[in-house]
Amino acid sequence: MMENPYRPIKAKIEKIITETPTIKTFVLRPEEPLSFLAGQFMQVTVPGMGECPFTPSSDPKMTESIEFSVMKAGTVTAKLHQMKEREWVGLRGPYGKPYPLKDFHGKELYIVGGGVGLAPLRSLLFALFHEIDNLKKIEVRFGARTPSDISYKEAIKKWKKHKNTNIVLTVDAGETGWKGNVGLVTTILKDGDVDIGNTVAIVCGPPIMMKFVTKRLLDMGFGDKDIYLSMEKNMSCGIGKCFHCNLGKYFVCKDGPVFTWEQIKDIPDPW
Amino acid sequence: MADFYIGTSDFSDLVERIIKDSKVAAPIEASGKLHLLEIFPDNIPEIRLSGFRTVESFKSYFFKLTERVSKYFNKDEIPQPEKLTIIGARSCDLEGLEILDRIFTEDDFKDPFYIANREKVTIISSDCTDCGNTCFCSLVKGNPYPLKFFDLNLSPIKTGFIVEIGTEKGKKLVDENRDLFLKPTQDALDQKKRNREKIMDLLMEKNKKFQFKLDFSEIHKMNLENKVWRTLTKDCVECSACNFICPTCSCFLLLDQEKNNKSERYKVWDACLKAGYARVAGGANPRAKLYQRLQNRYHCKFDYSFDRLDRYTCVGCGRCIDGCAGKIDMRDIFMELEKQVPLTAKLK
Repeated sequence: MMENPYRPIKAKIEKIITETPTIKTFVLRPEEPLSFLAGQFMQVTVPGMGECPFTPSSDPKMTESIEFSVMKAGTVTAKLHQMKEREWVGLRGPYGKPYPLKDFHGKELYIVGGGVGLAPLRSLLFALFHEIDNLKKIEVRFGARTPSDISYKEAIKKWKKHKNTNIVLTVDAGETGWKGNVGLVTTILKDGDVDIGNTVAIVCGPPIMMKFVTKRLLDMGFGDKDIYLSMEKNMSCGIGKCFHCNLGKYFVCKDGPVFTWEQIKDIPDPW
Repeated sequence: MADFYIGTSDFSDLVERIIKDSKVAAPIEASGKLHLLEIFPDNIPEIRLSGFRTVESFKSYFFKLTERVSKYFNKDEIPQPEKLTIIGARSCDLEGLEILDRIFTEDDFKDPFYIANREKVTIISSDCTDCGNTCFCSLVKGNPYPLKFFDLNLSPIKTGFIVEIGTEKGKKLVDENRDLFLKPTQDALDQKKRNREKIMDLLMEKNKKFQFKLDFSEIHKMNLENKVWRTLTKDCVECSACNFICPTCSCFLLLDQEKNNKSERYKVWDACLKAGYARVAGGANPRAKLYQRLQNRYHCKFDYSFDRLDRYTCVGCGRCIDGCAGKIDMRDIFMELEKQVPLTAKLK
């Protein structure tokens, strides 16, 4: 019989980690095997409430469990935040196109994240660390609203120790004890950070942040084809049928969710 | 394959035989308009195959207004609907069906619910013998008589119909009821040809004030960023009648609910004109303004449709014009957009 693409697979909440006041990471163990590639997303079902699309934040090589870092933003995510360990949720996917990791070989990567945008970038970083020998270097620039809004604080310390990896953080507003950068993420994108002619920039964050980061990257000299953007749109089916996530001629669920600036630059106000 | 002839009363007998084995829907006149209604033996004489398309499209037979698609976390059974024969579908309806078929049954992911509904349907279409004031299939590469996508097609002539077979399913229907079908006379075939010429002329006559130099996809591409959309769409009241009545609008929403401690998922019609259609969690909305949403609907059908299906996804049935509370006529919008083209080209 034909697969039912709308049926979610049952997954148990194994563990819940509070990352920030608004972000929790849910470690899920699906009942049927599921795997994904960095850049793809899944639909997470809160039973009886509805679905939301998220890109996993865990290592794509880890197959028994999948992690999602979720910001409380709407009704479904608010309900998810109230759920407890050992309760059940649903998963559909993976959907969309993965990052073309092979195309990044021999290059420098300039990874720019904002807020909960670090979640999908985390799974990408895991994938990149597996093939760090094929990459020149990884430069991560990450911005959060305040120091308490920075997720994965412990993980970030570990990532900094990876060879050829450098991570710079900034916050919009400091708190007592914060000695790091203060300012929008665009203020820590400096000329000379990377060899622009041999670098791919990967951006994920709130639409307004992506808009200004793209502008900054273009000013720095990045080519349209070398800027990868993770687009956020309202999605329902995830399989290119329901039309909700249309971005000009594209469906973000099927043709994305990651697009190069080259692909979307002619769409008026794509954000 | 050679055409057949069926007389008017033999056609009634055919419908009577079909009803024994299948649900039947066909056009019936009510308040001066044709509506697609269920046929029982006693209303067979009321079936009207003259005129033009029905008020409502038949998409809801395949793409249901609301349909349960999962009772999770059970393994779902795809429901097996009963057989259905749709009689009197017009060329525009068939073009619309081709578009829905391609959306739901092509590509990596297929919709098993649509496919189950679709497989049970036999389509006996018919030529238009009149056209409405809002009919404009000829402007979107269509014809007022079906040339493809039917199982059987009926071309009304004085004493009955010329029958054309489109598929194996249609051929089977003729073979099983061979006693009702005759070889058509040359005069009958000539009548069909003349009627088709006549209806095409009438359609052109009704649309003669809408003359275009450019293809609609070009007209749209060239006006993507034109502010004129704000005024063109000022009469839209966001009622979404155009979305719902359109034979090719197929937007839906997956809606979950809890029923007797069981979670269920429904696939429900949605409308791209609604304010919340593209809104994301947190409130950001890429098409917050009504004019942006109506403009997106036009681009969806006349511009993006070429990237997705390599055709218009408007079939020119004119139902959206009839249904519009703001009296917006697509053809007037095209005229105004074409007028704008030299201006926008200059600005670039």
